Amino acid sequence: MKINPDFTIQQVGGYYVAVPIGETSKHFHAMLRLNETGAFLWKLMAEKDISEEELVEALLAEYEVSREMAAADVHRLVESMREAQLFV
Amino acid sequence: MFAIQLAGVRIGMDNRYSFVEHQCKDYLCEARDLAFTVSASPEEIAKEQALGDYAADYCESICLYRHICELIPAHNVFLFHSCILEVDGYAYAFTAKSGVGKSTHCALWLKTVPNARVLNGDKPLIRVEEDGTLTAFGTPWNGKENWGENISAPLAAVCFIERGEINTIETVSEGEAVDRLIHQLYLRGPRQSVMKQLMLMDSFVRGVPFYLLHCNISKEAARLSFETMRKK
Repeated sequence: MKINPDFTIQQVGGYYVAVPIGETSKHFHAMLRLNETGAFLWKLMAEKDISEEELVEALLAEYEVSREMAAADVHRLVESMREAQLFV
Repeated sequence: MFAIQLAGVRIGMDNRYSFVEHQCKDYLCEARDLAFTVSASPEEIAKEQALGDYAADYCESICLYRHICELIPAHNVFLFHSCILEVDGYAYAFTAKSGVGKSTHCALWLKTVPNARVLNGDKPLIRVEEDGTLTAFGTPWNGKENWGENISAPLAAVCFIERGEINTIETVSEGEAVDRLIHQLYLRGPRQSVMKQLMLMDSFVRGVPFYLLHCNISKEAARLSFETMRKK
Protein backbone atom coordinates (compact mmCIF):
# COMPACT_ATOMS: atom_id res chain seq x y z
CA MET A 1 0.00 0.00 0.00
CA LYS A 2 1.05 3.57 -0.62
CA ILE A 3 -0.68 6.60 0.79
CA ASN A 4 -2.20 9.11 -1.57
CA PRO A 5 0.21 12.08 -1.47
CA ASP A 6 -2.80 14.41 -1.13
CA PHE A 7 -3.01 13.40 2.53
CA THR A 8 -0.80 14.47 5.35
CA ILE A 9 -0.55 14.08 9.11
CA GLN A 10 -0.01 16.67 11.79
CA GLN A 11 0.39 16.34 15.55
CA VAL A 12 -2.61 17.56 17.52
CA GLY A 13 -2.36 17.14 21.28
CA GLY A 14 -0.93 13.69 21.97
CA TYR A 15 -2.25 12.34 18.67
CA TYR A 16 -1.82 12.69 14.92
CA VAL A 17 -4.58 13.75 12.58
CA ALA A 18 -4.63 12.68 8.93
CA VAL A 19 -6.18 15.25 6.62
CA PRO A 20 -6.68 15.80 2.90
CA ILE A 21 -4.91 18.77 1.35
CA GLY A 22 -5.21 20.76 -1.88
CA GLU A 23 -7.75 19.59 -4.48
CA THR A 24 -8.59 16.42 -2.53
CA SER A 25 -9.93 18.46 0.40
CA LYS A 26 -12.74 19.80 -1.77
CA HIS A 27 -14.44 16.43 -2.15
CA PHE A 28 -13.00 14.45 0.74
CA HIS A 29 -13.97 15.24 4.30
CA ALA A 30 -13.04 12.22 6.39
CA MET A 31 -10.30 12.71 8.90
CA LEU A 32 -8.52 10.07 10.90
CA ARG A 33 -6.93 10.25 14.35
CA LEU A 34 -3.80 8.14 14.83
CA ASN A 35 -1.77 7.26 17.90
CA GLU A 36 2.03 7.24 17.89
CA THR A 37 2.35 3.77 16.32
CA GLY A 38 -0.25 4.69 13.71
CA ALA A 39 1.75 7.78 12.82
CA PHE A 40 4.94 5.66 12.58
CA LEU A 41 3.26 3.27 10.13
CA TRP A 42 1.70 6.17 8.22
CA LYS A 43 5.15 7.65 7.56
CA LEU A 44 6.36 4.32 6.12
CA MET A 45 3.33 4.04 3.83
CA ALA A 46 3.78 7.65 2.73
CA GLU A 47 7.41 7.04 1.72
CA LYS A 48 6.93 3.99 -0.52
CA ASP A 49 4.69 1.16 -1.61
CA ILE A 50 4.93 -1.29 1.28
CA SER A 51 3.23 -4.56 2.21
CA GLU A 52 1.50 -5.48 5.47
CA GLU A 53 4.30 -8.00 6.22
CA GLU A 54 6.96 -5.31 5.82
CA LEU A 55 4.99 -2.98 8.10
CA VAL A 56 4.83 -5.70 10.77
CA GLU A 57 8.62 -6.19 10.54
CA ALA A 58 9.19 -2.44 10.85
CA LEU A 59 6.90 -2.25 13.88
CA LEU A 60 8.73 -5.17 15.56
CA ALA A 61 12.08 -3.49 14.93
CA GLU A 62 10.91 -0.25 16.52
CA TYR A 63 8.61 -1.31 19.37
CA GLU A 64 8.64 -4.11 21.91
CA VAL A 65 5.44 -5.92 21.00
CA SER A 66 4.58 -9.51 20.15
CA ARG A 67 4.30 -10.51 16.49
CA GLU A 68 0.60 -11.31 16.94
CA MET A 69 -0.10 -7.91 18.45
CA ALA A 70 1.91 -6.10 15.74
CA ALA A 71 0.17 -8.02 12.95
CA ALA A 72 -3.26 -7.27 14.43
CA ASP A 73 -2.45 -3.57 14.85
CA VAL A 74 -1.13 -3.24 11.31
CA HIS A 75 -4.12 -5.07 9.87
CA ARG A 76 -6.62 -2.94 11.77
CA LEU A 77 -4.94 0.30 10.68
CA VAL A 78 -4.59 -0.75 7.03
CA GLU A 79 -8.25 -1.79 6.89
CA SER A 80 -9.49 1.49 8.36
CA MET A 81 -7.25 3.42 5.96
CA ARG A 82 -8.49 1.35 3.01
CA GLU A 83 -12.06 2.04 4.08
CA ALA A 84 -11.26 5.76 4.24
CA GLN A 85 -9.75 5.48 0.71
CA LEU A 86 -6.38 6.82 1.75
CA PHE A 87 -4.32 4.65 -0.62
CA VAL A 88 -3.39 5.39 -4.23
CA MET B 1 -13.97 49.23 0.20
CA PHE B 2 -13.60 49.58 3.96
CA ALA B 3 -11.48 48.01 6.68
CA ILE B 4 -12.25 46.12 9.90
CA GLN B 5 -10.22 44.84 12.79
CA LEU B 6 -10.95 41.26 13.90
CA ALA B 7 -8.96 39.60 16.70
CA GLY B 8 -6.36 42.34 16.33
CA VAL B 9 -5.96 41.75 12.57
CA ARG B 10 -6.73 44.57 10.15
CA ILE B 11 -8.60 43.34 7.09
CA GLY B 12 -9.56 45.13 3.87
CA MET B 13 -13.12 44.46 2.71
CA ASP B 14 -13.48 44.94 -1.05
CA ASN B 15 -17.30 44.83 -1.09
CA ARG B 16 -19.95 45.20 -3.82
CA TYR B 17 -22.98 45.64 -1.57
CA SER B 18 -23.50 47.93 1.44
CA PHE B 19 -25.06 45.17 3.60
CA VAL B 20 -21.70 43.87 4.85
CA GLU B 21 -20.42 47.36 5.68
CA HIS B 22 -23.48 47.99 7.84
CA GLN B 23 -23.06 44.57 9.46
CA CYS B 24 -19.43 45.45 10.33
CA LYS B 25 -20.15 48.91 11.74
CA ASP B 26 -18.81 48.10 15.23
CA TYR B 27 -15.53 46.74 13.82
CA LEU B 28 -14.45 49.48 11.40
CA CYS B 29 -10.84 50.65 11.47
CA GLU B 30 -8.49 52.77 9.41
CA ALA B 31 -7.60 51.18 6.08
CA ARG B 32 -3.84 51.08 6.64
CA ASP B 33 -1.37 48.29 7.53
CA LEU B 34 -3.87 45.71 6.30
CA ALA B 35 -2.92 42.07 6.84
CA PHE B 36 -4.93 41.10 3.75
CA THR B 37 -7.96 42.11 1.71
CA VAL B 38 -10.91 39.90 0.77
CA SER B 39 -13.45 40.11 -2.02
CA ALA B 40 -16.16 37.85 -3.44
CA SER B 41 -16.72 37.36 -7.19
CA PRO B 42 -20.24 37.53 -8.69
CA GLU B 43 -19.85 33.81 -9.54
CA GLU B 44 -19.24 32.71 -5.97
CA ILE B 45 -22.00 34.97 -4.67
CA ALA B 46 -24.39 33.36 -7.19
CA LYS B 47 -23.21 29.90 -6.12
CA GLU B 48 -23.91 30.76 -2.48
CA GLN B 49 -27.37 32.07 -3.44
CA ALA B 50 -28.18 28.78 -5.16
CA LEU B 51 -27.67 26.93 -1.84
CA GLY B 52 -30.56 28.69 -0.18
CA ASP B 53 -33.03 31.37 -1.05
CA TYR B 54 -30.89 34.27 0.12
CA ALA B 55 -30.27 37.81 -1.12
CA ALA B 56 -27.03 38.54 -2.98
CA ASP B 57 -25.82 41.07 -0.41
CA TYR B 58 -26.22 38.55 2.42
CA CYS B 59 -24.40 35.90 0.39
CA GLU B 60 -21.55 38.30 -0.29
CA SER B 61 -21.13 38.70 3.47
CA ILE B 62 -20.97 34.90 3.92
CA CYS B 63 -18.36 34.57 1.15
CA LEU B 64 -16.22 37.36 2.60
CA TYR B 65 -16.16 35.81 6.06
CA ARG B 66 -15.27 32.44 4.57
CA HIS B 67 -12.26 34.03 2.86
CA ILE B 68 -11.28 35.78 6.09
CA CYS B 69 -11.37 32.45 7.92
CA GLU B 70 -9.16 30.85 5.26
CA LEU B 71 -6.54 33.60 5.52
CA ILE B 72 -6.58 34.58 9.18
CA PRO B 73 -4.88 31.39 10.51
CA ALA B 74 -1.59 32.88 9.25
CA HIS B 75 -2.05 35.39 12.09
CA ASN B 76 -2.60 32.68 14.74
CA VAL B 77 -6.36 33.19 14.70
CA PHE B 78 -9.00 30.59 13.81
CA LEU B 79 -12.76 30.26 13.54
CA PHE B 80 -14.44 28.05 16.11
CA HIS B 81 -18.09 27.42 15.29
CA SER B 82 -19.67 27.90 18.71
CA CYS B 83 -21.56 30.22 21.02
CA ILE B 84 -19.18 32.04 23.36
CA LEU B 85 -20.35 33.68 26.56
CA GLU B 86 -18.37 36.10 28.68
CA VAL B 87 -18.71 36.16 32.46
CA ASP B 88 -16.58 38.38 34.74
CA GLY B 89 -13.71 38.64 32.26
CA TYR B 90 -13.55 35.01 31.08
CA ALA B 91 -14.96 33.39 27.95
CA TYR B 92 -16.77 30.02 27.79
CA ALA B 93 -17.41 28.31 24.44
CA PHE B 94 -20.36 26.00 23.75
CA THR B 95 -20.53 23.86 20.68
CA ALA B 96 -23.00 21.23 19.48
CA LYS B 97 -24.32 19.61 16.35
CA SER B 98 -26.93 21.73 14.63
CA GLY B 99 -30.32 21.46 16.34
CA VAL B 100 -29.02 20.12 19.67
CA GLY B 101 -29.75 23.35 21.51
CA LYS B 102 -26.54 25.35 21.80
CA SER B 103 -28.48 28.61 21.64
CA THR B 104 -31.09 27.33 24.12
CA HIS B 105 -28.42 26.44 26.66
CA CYS B 106 -26.69 29.80 26.19
CA ALA B 107 -30.04 31.59 26.68
CA LEU B 108 -30.36 29.71 29.99
CA TRP B 109 -26.93 31.01 31.05
CA LEU B 110 -28.07 34.55 30.31
CA LYS B 111 -31.05 34.01 32.64
CA THR B 112 -29.16 32.10 35.33
CA VAL B 113 -25.56 33.32 35.51
CA PRO B 114 -25.04 36.85 36.87
CA ASN B 115 -23.09 39.16 34.50
CA ALA B 116 -23.22 36.68 31.59
CA ARG B 117 -23.29 38.20 28.10
CA VAL B 118 -22.83 36.80 24.61
CA LEU B 119 -19.46 37.47 23.00
CA ASN B 120 -20.58 35.78 19.77
CA GLY B 121 -23.52 33.45 19.14
CA ASP B 122 -22.19 31.50 16.17
CA LYS B 123 -18.84 32.31 14.57
CA PRO B 124 -16.33 33.75 17.05
CA LEU B 125 -12.60 33.88 16.39
CA ILE B 126 -9.97 32.50 18.75
CA ARG B 127 -6.40 33.76 18.90
CA VAL B 128 -3.50 31.65 20.12
CA GLU B 129 -1.22 33.87 22.21
CA GLU B 130 2.55 33.52 22.42
CA ASP B 131 2.33 31.95 25.88
CA GLY B 132 -0.08 29.29 24.58
CA THR B 133 -3.20 30.79 26.15
CA LEU B 134 -6.29 31.46 24.04
CA THR B 135 -8.35 34.60 23.62
CA ALA B 136 -11.90 34.70 22.24
CA PHE B 137 -13.00 37.61 20.04
CA GLY B 138 -16.40 38.81 18.88
CA THR B 139 -17.03 39.22 15.14
CA PRO B 140 -19.79 40.82 13.07
CA TRP B 141 -20.89 37.29 12.03
CA ASN B 142 -23.19 36.42 14.89
CA GLY B 143 -25.65 33.80 13.73
CA LYS B 144 -29.38 34.02 13.30
CA GLU B 145 -30.05 35.30 16.86
CA ASN B 146 -27.64 38.17 16.12
CA TRP B 147 -26.01 37.80 19.52
CA GLY B 148 -22.61 39.35 20.06
CA GLU B 149 -20.43 42.30 20.83
CA ASN B 150 -17.03 43.64 19.85
CA ILE B 151 -15.33 42.36 23.00
CA SER B 152 -12.62 39.83 23.84
CA ALA B 153 -11.75 37.67 26.84
CA PRO B 154 -9.37 34.84 27.75
CA LEU B 155 -10.99 31.50 26.89
CA ALA B 156 -11.52 29.51 30.10
CA ALA B 157 -13.20 26.32 28.82
CA VAL B 158 -14.93 24.63 25.90
CA CYS B 159 -18.10 22.58 26.30
CA PHE B 160 -19.56 20.06 23.85
CA ILE B 161 -23.33 19.86 24.35
CA GLU B 162 -25.50 16.80 23.84
CA ARG B 163 -29.07 16.23 24.88
CA GLY B 164 -29.78 14.10 27.93
CA GLU B 165 -32.63 13.16 30.23
CA ILE B 166 -30.66 14.26 33.24
CA ASN B 167 -27.90 16.85 33.53
CA THR B 168 -24.34 15.55 33.72
CA ILE B 169 -20.99 17.10 32.93
CA GLU B 170 -17.58 15.43 32.64
CA THR B 171 -14.14 16.35 31.42
CA VAL B 172 -13.24 15.08 27.96
CA SER B 173 -9.96 13.29 27.26
CA GLU B 174 -7.59 14.89 24.79
CA GLY B 175 -8.21 12.10 22.25
CA GLU B 176 -11.96 12.55 22.38
CA ALA B 177 -11.61 16.34 22.12
CA VAL B 178 -9.50 15.86 18.96
CA ASP B 179 -12.09 13.45 17.51
CA ARG B 180 -14.92 15.89 18.13
CA LEU B 181 -12.99 18.88 16.83
CA ILE B 182 -11.73 17.39 13.58
CA HIS B 183 -15.28 16.74 12.46
CA GLN B 184 -16.29 20.35 12.77
CA LEU B 185 -13.13 22.05 11.57
CA TYR B 186 -13.19 23.85 8.28
CA LEU B 187 -10.01 22.56 6.67
CA ARG B 188 -9.72 23.75 3.11
CA GLY B 189 -7.08 25.34 1.03
CA PRO B 190 -3.41 24.89 0.26
CA ARG B 191 -1.12 22.62 2.25
CA GLN B 192 0.51 25.47 4.19
CA SER B 193 -2.84 26.77 5.37
CA VAL B 194 -4.17 23.34 6.40
CA MET B 195 -0.98 22.59 8.35
CA LYS B 196 -1.19 25.96 10.07
CA GLN B 197 -4.81 25.34 11.07
CA LEU B 198 -3.84 21.98 12.57
CA MET B 199 -0.99 23.61 14.48
CA LEU B 200 -3.52 26.05 15.91
CA MET B 201 -5.78 23.12 16.82
CA ASP B 202 -2.81 21.56 18.63
CA SER B 203 -2.49 24.75 20.72
CA PHE B 204 -6.27 24.70 21.20
CA VAL B 205 -6.44 21.19 22.73
CA ARG B 206 -3.38 21.87 24.90
CA GLY B 207 -4.46 25.35 25.98
CA VAL B 208 -7.93 24.89 27.44
CA PRO B 209 -10.00 22.23 29.29
CA PHE B 210 -12.81 20.49 27.35
CA TYR B 211 -16.07 19.27 28.86
CA LEU B 212 -19.00 17.19 27.69
CA LEU B 213 -22.39 18.28 28.96
CA HIS B 214 -25.51 16.16 28.65
CA CYS B 215 -28.43 18.39 29.43
CA ASN B 216 -32.14 18.97 29.32
CA ILE B 217 -33.68 22.41 29.04
CA SER B 218 -33.51 23.75 32.58
CA LYS B 219 -31.84 26.42 34.62
CA GLU B 220 -30.28 23.61 36.61
CA ALA B 221 -28.35 22.57 33.47
CA ALA B 222 -26.95 26.08 33.13
CA ARG B 223 -25.99 26.24 36.81
CA LEU B 224 -24.25 22.86 36.54
CA SER B 225 -22.19 23.80 33.50
CA PHE B 226 -21.27 27.21 34.91
CA GLU B 227 -20.26 25.92 38.36
CA THR B 228 -18.12 23.19 36.78
CA MET B 229 -16.36 25.24 34.13
CA ARG B 230 -16.11 28.49 36.07
CA LYS B 231 -12.62 30.00 36.16
CA LYS B 232 -11.80 30.85 39.73
